Amino acid sequence: MVIFMRGFLAFTKKEFLEQLRTYKWLIFLAVFFLFGLMSPLLAKLTPDILSSMDMGGIQLNLPEPTVMDAYSQYFKNMTQMGVVVVLLVFGSILSNELIKGTLVNILAKGMSRTAVLLSKYTAAVILWSAGFLLSAATNYGYTVYLFKNASVPNLMFSMFCLWLFGCFIIALILLSSVAAAGSFGGLILSAVTLIILLMVNIFPKAEKFNPVTLVSKNTALLNGTNKAGDLYLTVAMTTTLIAVCIITAVLLFKKKQI
Amino acid sequence: MAILELDKVSKSFGAVKVIGDLSFQVPDHSVFGFIGKNGAGKTTTMKMILGFLQQDSGVIHVCGEKVSYGNTKANRNIGYLPDVPEFYGYMNPKEYLKLCGEITGLKKEIIQSRTKELLELVGLDGVNRRIHGFSRGMKQRLGIAQALLNEPKLLICDEPTSALDPMGRKEILDILSLAKNKTTILFSTHILSDVERICDRIGVLNQGKLVLEGDVSDIKHKYRKDTVRVEVGKSFQPEKAADGLRKLTAVTNVRTDNRIIEIQVHNAEDSGADILAFLLKEAVPVIRYEIMEPSLENVFLQVVV
Repeated sequence: MVIFMRGFLAFTKKEFLEQLRTYKWLIFLAVFFLFGLMSPLLAKLTPDILSSMDMGGIQLNLPEPTVMDAYSQYFKNMTQMGVVVVLLVFGSILSNELIKGTLVNILAKGMSRTAVLLSKYTAAVILWSAGFLLSAATNYGYTVYLFKNASVPNLMFSMFCLWLFGCFIIALILLSSVAAAGSFGGLILSAVTLIILLMVNIFPKAEKFNPVTLVSKNTALLNGTNKAGDLYLTVAMTTTLIAVCIITAVLLFKKKQI
Repeated sequence: MAILELDKVSKSFGAVKVIGDLSFQVPDHSVFGFIGKNGAGKTTTMKMILGFLQQDSGVIHVCGEKVSYGNTKANRNIGYLPDVPEFYGYMNPKEYLKLCGEITGLKKEIIQSRTKELLELVGLDGVNRRIHGFSRGMKQRLGIAQALLNEPKLLICDEPTSALDPMGRKEILDILSLAKNKTTILFSTHILSDVERICDRIGVLNQGKLVLEGDVSDIKHKYRKDTVRVEVGKSFQPEKAADGLRKLTAVTNVRTDNRIIEIQVHNAEDSGADILAFLLKEAVPVIRYEIMEPSLENVFLQVVV
């Protein structure tokens, strides 16, 4: 246990240094800061942008933008572009090391393979959380500034669902990287899995059990179409799936030839 | 005491048998040269010793501890230098050794003092650049430093010199000769001159089996084939002398090649007089006369081919 913790701490430190020196943190935080900044601004300006364009004589009557427009814009950005950014930034955290062989020296020193995976998961989730918090705080502050009244129901829960989904993607990336070979094997397998999960939601009965639901009901939670209780099962399911992904990844990794 | 012990280890990849019933021991404080052609199974064997690959059958012990696949506990006694070591390019050598030390659980002060000592040993002291700009030789030297950091009882080097230029090779061999005072070294290679320079014992691997094992000087002695090599002057046809030499009682075989006559005899020193007398009588213009020492290369070719 002591050996495990020692390795875990040292390797997590190394992961942070890697994020720092390869500028992952900069890219990640900058992109999420922009998402937080742009979403309310775009919602506010959309009517002005449209009315400034020459529509060939057609009269457009657009309603005054609301707080809800700002949030739906934010969640749209985060659940589409945000997911892509998470996939691209974290997609190769394990594959890269396996391809290059940088883990050989480390494992030859008696480092636990479980600790390697948990370190990678911890460091990635912390960077994701930091990016997420930055974007959420920026978005909230700017929305309050632009729309004066920013209070909507279930905002915290809706945000939590988004965050949890990010944690699920990172766990999925680790599992895929152990299971699939090559530099992009993990990335591609994760993306394909997400697309399949997206398609599964065509069946209404599957919705409650599908992690993807966490990022498809965010606006519905805010405008009252869905209640928070509707998603409790999905939250529990996703948490379980995260654990299953990590445990399976550890078991497979232990049997992997290095 | 044997630091490393392999007992009837076998390994196949699909239908291809890479290692078959391999058994050998590496005694304490020796440098064991593990020799074989490319693809003979050297790296496979080393990866099994490190628990990176699972053997199909057989047992491996390191310092009396059984090696089990996927579990790297026995590795705390081992320092490993891969054939092409890979590092985190964004770190500098000190940071990398610090990471290695922390993983192994060395105390902070010990990491600092060992780092200083080892970087001096491998000639990287004062190099504070990041590793991604390092040459192959520098990476190989840093590889040795990281392998020696936890003062391992067994240092495993997988072809440490194969990818290097002559200068880099000499440096690595010099470092290894220094390291051999402190640890046991298992050294795989196909460069035989390297083996002659630093190894005490050798094992020759061919088609997954150890075809020859033992003390380097014993082996050289055993495979000694007395050969006298005579170089003759330009104007002389070596074939002319060959027939006469074959008739001498001590001579078993004669081979000619360009201006060289190679004479195989039972005992080079005793039969030397007969050969010299013959050369003198026939007035052969001798440029050089030498008694050949058996090289490991000859031994290797003999047991492998």
